[in-house]
Amino acid sequence: MSINNNQNTDIQANQNEETRARISTVKNLKRRFVRNDVLAMVLLFGLMLIAPLFPSVKGWMLSQASLVIIYIIAALGVMVLVGFTGLVSVGHGGFLAIGAYTSALLTLHLGVDLVVGIIAALLMSGLIGAGLALIFLRLSGAFMAIGTLGFAFFVGTILNNIPFFQGRDGILLDANFVLGFEIYDHGFYLVSVVCLILVTLFVYMLVNSGTGRAFMALRDAEKAAMASGVNRLKFRTLAFSISAAITGIAGALNAHVVNYVSAEVFADIWYSVDILMAVVVGGSVAILGPFVGGFFVVMMPFYFEQLADFSFIMKGVVLILVLRFAPAGVAELILRPLKNARRTILRNVGGSMVETKEPKDD
Amino acid sequence: MTDHLRCEGITVKFGGVVACDNISLNVETGKIVGLIGPNGAGKTTLFNVLTRFQPYVAGSVFHNGNNVDELRPHDMVHRGLARTFQNINLFREQTTLRNIMTGGHSLIGNPIKAMCWTPDARKREREIEERAIEIAEILNLSGELENEVGNLPYGYQKRVELGRALASKPSLLLLDEPVAGCNDDETAELQEIIHTVNKKMGVSVLLVEHDMKMVMKVCDYLFVINFGSNLAEGTPEDIRQNPEVIKAYLGEEEHT
Repeated sequence: MSINNNQNTDIQANQNEETRARISTVKNLKRRFVRNDVLAMVLLFGLMLIAPLFPSVKGWMLSQASLVIIYIIAALGVMVLVGFTGLVSVGHGGFLAIGAYTSALLTLHLGVDLVVGIIAALLMSGLIGAGLALIFLRLSGAFMAIGTLGFAFFVGTILNNIPFFQGRDGILLDANFVLGFEIYDHGFYLVSVVCLILVTLFVYMLVNSGTGRAFMALRDAEKAAMASGVNRLKFRTLAFSISAAITGIAGALNAHVVNYVSAEVFADIWYSVDILMAVVVGGSVAILGPFVGGFFVVMMPFYFEQLADFSFIMKGVVLILVLRFAPAGVAELILRPLKNARRTILRNVGGSMVETKEPKDD
Repeated sequence: MTDHLRCEGITVKFGGVVACDNISLNVETGKIVGLIGPNGAGKTTLFNVLTRFQPYVAGSVFHNGNNVDELRPHDMVHRGLARTFQNINLFREQTTLRNIMTGGHSLIGNPIKAMCWTPDARKREREIEERAIEIAEILNLSGELENEVGNLPYGYQKRVELGRALASKPSLLLLDEPVAGCNDDETAELQEIIHTVNKKMGVSVLLVEHDMKMVMKVCDYLFVINFGSNLAEGTPEDIRQNPEVIKAYLGEEEHT
C-alpha cells in the first residue's frame, strides 16, 4: 500500500513538474511574440522619423503626413473608447476642437511653448471628458452616441457665437516654438511623430495593464466585470477621459500644423465622423487599426479627387465594403493569420486537451 | 463562532410578486453553508441580494458585523466576497488566464498607477499572474490557460468561473449552482475543489444547489427556503429528517 502511495505521489510530482515546464515555455513564447511586435513598431517609427531626410519628402507631402499622424492619434483616442471599453462616441470632434482652441489661445495670448500647449490641451480635454462622461454614461447604447453628437454640436455653437473664439473668421497663429526653437514643416512633422510614439506607447501600456483588463471586462461581460470588482462608472469615466485627452493632443497638433483655428473647421460634424470612421475602417482592437484608418481617412479624398464632392460618396462605399467583408477592420484582416497562428502555437505548447473550433469569421 | 455574512428580514418584490419575504440567514466563518429550496423559492434572488446585485425593500445585510446595505457589487468584492453565476458569466473571447486575472481586479491597486506601469503596479501585475496560474493548477486548468474560454466545454467553464472568483483572494465564496449541468465526474471534481478551497485556503462558502447528494455531502449547515420564506435550518442530518422539508422539497425523492 505504502509503495503504491509513493508511486502515486511520484507521478503527481512529475506531472506538476511537467506542467510548470510547459507554463514557463508558454511564458517565453509570449515574451517573444511581444518582442516581435515591439520590434515591428520600432521599425515603423524609425522609418517615420528618418522620412524627412529624403529630399523628396517636403511641402505638401510633409504637411499631409503630419495630418495623417494627427488623425492616427485621434483614432487611437477613439479606439480606447470604442475598441477597448465598448462605448461609442460620435462626438470626438468636440474634443479635437477643445484641444485645438486650448493650445491655440494659450500660444496666442500667453506665448507659451508648443509643449506646454499640447499638455494643456490634453488636460483640458481629459477634464471636460471626465465631466461629460458622468452625463453620457447614464445613457446607454444609441442614446449615448446621440448624446456625444449633441456635445460636438454644442462645442460648434459655442465657437461660432462667443466673440472670444472669433467664430468663422478664426484665429491665425504666429510662429511656433518647441523647447525654445522655432519650428517649420519638418519640425512639425517630427513633433507629431514624437507625440504619436508617446501616445502609442501609452495605449500599449494601458491595454497591457490591470486597468485595460478592467475596460475589456466591461466591454465583454458587464455582470462578470462587476462580480470581479470592477467599478463600472469609475472605469468607464476613466476610459472616456483618457480617450478625450488623447484626442485633445491631436486637436492641439492640428491647430499648429495649419497655424489656424476657426469655427468653420472645428464646428464641422464631419470631423467626428471621420475619426470614428478611421477606427471602424482600420479596426479597433489592434493598435495597427488606427494607423490604417488614419491613413485611409486623410488620403482617400485625394485618390478620388477628380470626383469632387462625390469623394464623400466613395467614403461611404468603402465603409460599406469594409463592414461587409472585414467587419473587425482592415488591420484585423491583415493580422488575423498571424494571430491565429500564434494562438494555435500557444494552445498546443500549453498542452490544451480540448478540441477547438477555429474562431468564426465575424 | 462569528458570523461572516448575515442577513435579516430580507424582502424583495418584483412588481406585485414577493420573491423573498422576510428571509434571514447567516454564514459562520470557515463553514460551508448550503441554501436549498424548490424551484422559484427565491434562492438566486436572495443570493443577488447578498452580493448586492439586487435591491431590496426591507431588511439588512451585514458583513463581519458591518451593515453593507449601501454598497454596490464591486465593493463587495473588495471586501472579500466573490461570487459565481448560475448561468456562466465569463469573458468568452478572452483566454482562461485573462479571465482569472480579471478576477484579481481588486488587487491592481490604483488604476492610474497601473496604466502608467509604475514599478509597484508591475509587481502587483506579476503577482496577479502568478496567482492566476496557481489557481489554474488547483482547478486542473493549466493546459487551457491560453485557450479562449468560449471554446471550452461546459464543465471547464464552470471551473474557470470559480477560478475568476478565487482570484480576488476572497474570504467568502458565494456559488450559485456550482455543479448544475455537470456530469458525475465533473461534480465529484468540483466537490473536491470546494472542499480544498474551504479547508486549505480557509474560505467560507455559501452555495445554492439542486444536487441533493452533493449538498448533503459537502455542507456543514443548511438553510431551506420555500415560497420566499425561511422553512428550516440545521445540519444536513437534521434537514434530512425534517418532515416539513421532506414535504416541501425532498418528498419526490423519497418515492423514487
